Amino acid sequence: MANIRNNKPSISGAVKNVQKAFQTKTGFVAITVRAWKRSSRFKIGFVISSLIIMVGVLAPLLAPYPRDGLGYVPEDALQKIRLSPSRDHIFGTDTRGRDIFSRVVFGVRSALIQIFLVVSSSLLIGLFMGVIAAYYKGFIETLINYLIELFMSIPAIVIALALRLILGSGLLTVVLALIITWWSWYGRVTYIYSRSIVEMDYVLLAKLSGVSGLKIIYRHVIRNASPPVLVQAVTDLGSVLLEASAINFLGLGLPPDSPEWGVIMQEGIQYLSISPWISVFPGIFILVTALGFSLIGDSLREEVDPKLRRRWRLWF
Amino acid sequence: MRLADLIIVKLENITLGYYTTPRGWRSLFKVKQPVVFNVNLNVVDGEKVVIIGESGSGKTTLLKTILGILPPFEGRVYVLGKSIYDLPAKERRKITRQIGYVPQDPYKSLNPRVKIETVMKEPLEKSNLTDREIKERINEALRLVQLHEKILDYYPMQLSGGMMQRVLIARAIVHEPEILALDEPTSALDVSIQAQVINLLNQIRRKLELAMLTVTHDLAVAQYLGDRVVIIHKGRIVEEGETAIVLSQPSHEYTRLLISSYRASI
Amino acid sequence: MVLAVEAENLKIGYEDEEVVWAVKGVSFKVMVGEIFCLVGESGCGKSTTGNAIVGILPPYSVTDGVLRILGKTVIEGNKRDYTGVRGRIVSYVPQNPGSSLNPYLTVEEQFHYVMNSVYEWGRKKVVEEATRYLRMVELDPDKVMDYYPHELSGGMQQRTAIALALSTGAKIIVADEPTSALDAHLRLGLIRLLTRLRDTVNLTLIFITHDLLSAGKICDKIAIMYSGRILELGPSGKILTEPLHPYTEMLVDSVPILGIMKPLKTYGGEPLTPGVEVKGCLFLDRCPKKFDKCAENHPAPKEVHERIVECWRYV
Repeated sequence: MANIRNNKPSISGAVKNVQKAFQTKTGFVAITVRAWKRSSRFKIGFVISSLIIMVGVLAPLLAPYPRDGLGYVPEDALQKIRLSPSRDHIFGTDTRGRDIFSRVVFGVRSALIQIFLVVSSSLLIGLFMGVIAAYYKGFIETLINYLIELFMSIPAIVIALALRLILGSGLLTVVLALIITWWSWYGRVTYIYSRSIVEMDYVLLAKLSGVSGLKIIYRHVIRNASPPVLVQAVTDLGSVLLEASAINFLGLGLPPDSPEWGVIMQEGIQYLSISPWISVFPGIFILVTALGFSLIGDSLREEVDPKLRRRWRLWF
Repeated sequence: MRLADLIIVKLENITLGYYTTPRGWRSLFKVKQPVVFNVNLNVVDGEKVVIIGESGSGKTTLLKTILGILPPFEGRVYVLGKSIYDLPAKERRKITRQIGYVPQDPYKSLNPRVKIETVMKEPLEKSNLTDREIKERINEALRLVQLHEKILDYYPMQLSGGMMQRVLIARAIVHEPEILALDEPTSALDVSIQAQVINLLNQIRRKLELAMLTVTHDLAVAQYLGDRVVIIHKGRIVEEGETAIVLSQPSHEYTRLLISSYRASI
Repeated sequence: MVLAVEAENLKIGYEDEEVVWAVKGVSFKVMVGEIFCLVGESGCGKSTTGNAIVGILPPYSVTDGVLRILGKTVIEGNKRDYTGVRGRIVSYVPQNPGSSLNPYLTVEEQFHYVMNSVYEWGRKKVVEEATRYLRMVELDPDKVMDYYPHELSGGMQQRTAIALALSTGAKIIVADEPTSALDAHLRLGLIRLLTRLRDTVNLTLIFITHDLLSAGKICDKIAIMYSGRILELGPSGKILTEPLHPYTEMLVDSVPILGIMKPLKTYGGEPLTPGVEVKGCLFLDRCPKKFDKCAENHPAPKEVHERIVECWRYV
């Protein structure tokens, strides 16, 4: 930066500055790009997740028996109950004669919808609550913290149970149950990060300049508090999948016959020793999908955290 | 129209501090913890005043109350003639905007996610200036701190400590305040940059005819940034007077201690 | 004549996508019982050099040249071997006094932790020795031993850190900016203490600082570092009153001194950040006395009177 002096910034200096800017940017996008360049884990996770997403998008084309996939029982079902994997049915058939491969492939959509809905909603709520609590302090802070602790301590399955009674089975039940518990985690993490940001001098300067509270929150607080939370959210896509599958497995979420991995597993659990393929294949998909997102999330986290650890500060 | 005797900042018998929550059952009642006692201070238009104190002396707390963010337990704070804590928050902000504040640590005073352009525009957002006028003001401010316009496109992390400090000074003067308030303006800087900044501050002050209030612990720097010094110790003002005189012939014991410690360590 | 520390064209860099050299070849000799100052602004490599002496260079660092401590070669080329040296002969006092103290242990427990790992002493012996070291740094053991670090003041924390460093039996202590977090009279006290320690236990002290004036007061020899090289090295008294290198002159001119209202000369520019490639003398950008030879190469060290200077004006 010795190149910026009065009127003569040099070009090569400018180019180097752009590079340096990218290396030091703390935004979510910049973190992602860096992780991609640096970490093989990221690349693996990215590939896995992209493949899964593509399967979900192309489900109607990939599934050899699309109607089976959606849960309908085929006409010749009675002859096809619990067939072991073969050329016609790569993953075999389930207890009612439906092709498991098709069901699993359609299950990708269900899984992705659930996890993205849950994580994005919880994230929005959590971020909002977290920064409001940290910025306005006082009573709001105490109230929000209390709510966070309250909802953090209730397991999603219990809430799912209650919602099942009120709302019946369905997507809304499982998604809502998870959102109600997950937002509090984001709320807590956002609150903790925002707390230190709110004490920063640039927030003080903004206040002194008369900038409105909401603008300060948007421009200064959220932008700095959100990257680590967003990174966490990516890993959570995997965790939410596991929990959602569990809720559906217990029959507290989506109804039987739905193209949903947890549901399929539930149907096959009694026949685990006789026809393991019914539960095993959806189980594998759950694990692989969760793994894909976790790998991405992990490598992103490595970018954020050891930035403070590894990035030596030679000149500060 | 500026009068030579216009008092920009006046602290009248200020006792000031923070609230703490004691342990146990008493936590229902917050306790007043004063750190500054019975302080009286005036800053006249065009003056350069330095408040000298060591860490824990209460000097930063004084600055906070002048900025309008810490109401005193007792006494009144006048800025440009108005008692700011007797005003509603909005009015108070309007008045304290006349103070250009330069915080201590340049690394904590700039949001790493915003461009310098936003940093410079922020103080002018609430004013009723046209875009063109805003641009002019920003360029003028940058010129005064000897930074090129190109810096507007940069992010804080790309700048060195000295540049960051200059950006902060530019930001403080862009809305044409009556007084500059600086918290340890040189402590986070390298030696050679310190000199640059000190000279720059004096230059700007002369050019814009501002009053300047600096808070520091560094006696040597105080020489250059103040015509008048105020020595604060444990929340009380122990000595006050013309810089040259106080720092060469101190009357209070504490001032003597400060000076002798300084002398002995160089 | 035993050399406490000897560096021969020592280079230290950090590996990221390419190697960034923080220290570009420094050579110096420190005698036993000497107080040696590394002075410079940010980015000059003084802390890195200090870290090399202590043995706490990170794993992704790259070295070249030679570094010897009390005769033992600890760095040679890219090989580093600190067995028997790190934590035994050399100890470290960091900038922030509180950070080297474990916040969860009382002072006595910290001594125990340190001494037990070095000497494997029992509790009683640890208390005895700890008392001795605390007295050495002018602390009252009763007022310190049973307390947690956050219960002590900054100055006391600093002294406790020094006592801990001494208790490892270290003959060389590297102190990184020990005075910057302290107020004036604490600074004075610390300087006096360190000088006394040098006199009583023949301690060798490597003092890293940006505070030119304190360095001048306490040090026997000063090395002025800039952008990874030592631009001037010599006995402290003369260096500050009659600087040879233009950079030293600039530093001396820029420092405000109480009682002397000299105009502060501003030199343009900023200290070089590591990783910036420079052709010619490293100080070229900011040097007020440069001429054409300066743009070609960085000058080699040259002995002038009792000092070593890297400047084309003296060749």
